[in-house]
Amino acid sequence: MKLYDTMIIGAGIAGITAALFAARKRMGFEIVASEFGGQMLISGGVHNYPGLPDISGLELRSILEKQLALAGGPKVREETVTEIKKSGLNFSVMTDKNRYETQTVIIATGSKPKKLDVPGEEKFARKGVAYCSICDGPLFSGMEVAIIGGGNSALHALDFMKDIASKIYLVARSDRTRGFESLLEKARRNPKVKIIFSADVKEILGGKFVSGIRYEQGGKQKELNVGGVIVEIGRIPGTEPFRGLLDCDEAGHIKTDCQGQTSVPGIFAAGDCTAGHDYQYIISAGQGCMALLRAARYLATKKEV
Amino acid sequence: MSKIIVYSTPTCPYCHMLKDFLKERKVKFEDVNVAEDHEAAQRMIEKSGEMGVPQIEINGKIIVGFDKAAIEAELKKMKA
Repeated sequence: MKLYDTMIIGAGIAGITAALFAARKRMGFEIVASEFGGQMLISGGVHNYPGLPDISGLELRSILEKQLALAGGPKVREETVTEIKKSGLNFSVMTDKNRYETQTVIIATGSKPKKLDVPGEEKFARKGVAYCSICDGPLFSGMEVAIIGGGNSALHALDFMKDIASKIYLVARSDRTRGFESLLEKARRNPKVKIIFSADVKEILGGKFVSGIRYEQGGKQKELNVGGVIVEIGRIPGTEPFRGLLDCDEAGHIKTDCQGQTSVPGIFAAGDCTAGHDYQYIISAGQGCMALLRAARYLATKKEV
Repeated sequence: MSKIIVYSTPTCPYCHMLKDFLKERKVKFEDVNVAEDHEAAQRMIEKSGEMGVPQIEINGKIIVGFDKAAIEAELKKMKA
C-alpha cells in the first residue's frame, strides 16, 4: 500500500491552503473531504480577506480551485473520514470508502452550524427553519423572519435579508450583540429591523410550515409570528472521529501549539476545527500553511532518525 | 417526454454546483429562479413540502439539496 507524506482531511480554506503548499513542495498527498469549499459554500460577500476587498464565497472557492490545479494539486476525494489509527510511526486514515497509510495527517475539517436544540427545530427543518441565509433566504421574500443569534454570522444574515424580508427580528440570547460595529450600525439604522435582546428561544411553532417562535425574556414567555427562522448561533467543530485520539477543548476543538501540532506528533490541525482563535478565512488560511510547513519539517526530522 | 427542472436562487452556491454538475454531464434542464419567480417558488414548496434550495425535479420526482448520489441514480433511470 502506498505511504503518503500527508493526508489532508477537509477542503475548506485551511485544507486547500495546506494542499497548495503540499503541491508546491511536491509532497505525496491526497485531500479527503465531503466537498471542495467548506464554508465558502455558505458565505455571501467576503470583505475582510486581505487583498480581496469584495468577493463572494463562491468566487473565492473558484479562484482557489484553479490555483490548486495550477500547482498540480489533486482533486478532492469525496469521502468521509471515520477514524485515524496509529500504525507504527505512521497513521492509517480510514474513510467510508478507503484506507490510506500516511506519515502525517492534517486535519482541517472546519465546523458546522450549531443547532438551537429546541422543539420544532427538526420538524420544521427546510419548512421555514434555515441555517444558510444566502441559500434559502430568498424563499422568505416579503415575509417576516427571525434571525436567531448575536454574533457576526447573525448580523451578516440580517444584512443579506434586509432587502428580502418585510421585517426582521434579531433574537439574541445575550444582552448585546458581539459582532462587528459596522454591521451593528447598519442593523440599528434599518427601520425594518427590531433587535430583541436577552431572549432565549424555547420552541419553533407552526402547522405545515413555520408560523413563529416562542421565547423567554425576563422570566416571561413570549411569542413572535414569523414565516422564517434563520439560525446563526455559532458553529461546532467537525472533529467527532478524532476526539478519542487528540486533546480537544470542551466544545471539541482540537488543541494545537501555535504551529498546528496536536497532542499526537505527526498529526496537525488547522482552521475552525482548532481551539483558541476567532473564526476568519485569513486565520484559517494562515493556519493551513503553518500546519503543512510544520508537517514538512516533521517529515524531514523523521527521515534523519 | 422526460423533463428536468432545477429550482434555485442566484446566491445559493449549492445551486450553482448542481447546475455545473448537470452541465458537465450534458443534461438539459429548465432553470427556474425562485428568488424572482415567487409563483414558481410556491409551486416548488407545494410539490415538495420543503422551503430549501436547490430542488431538482426529474420525471416528477423531487430531490431537495445537492444530493449527488440520488440525482445520479435518477438520471441513470432516465437513460435506461
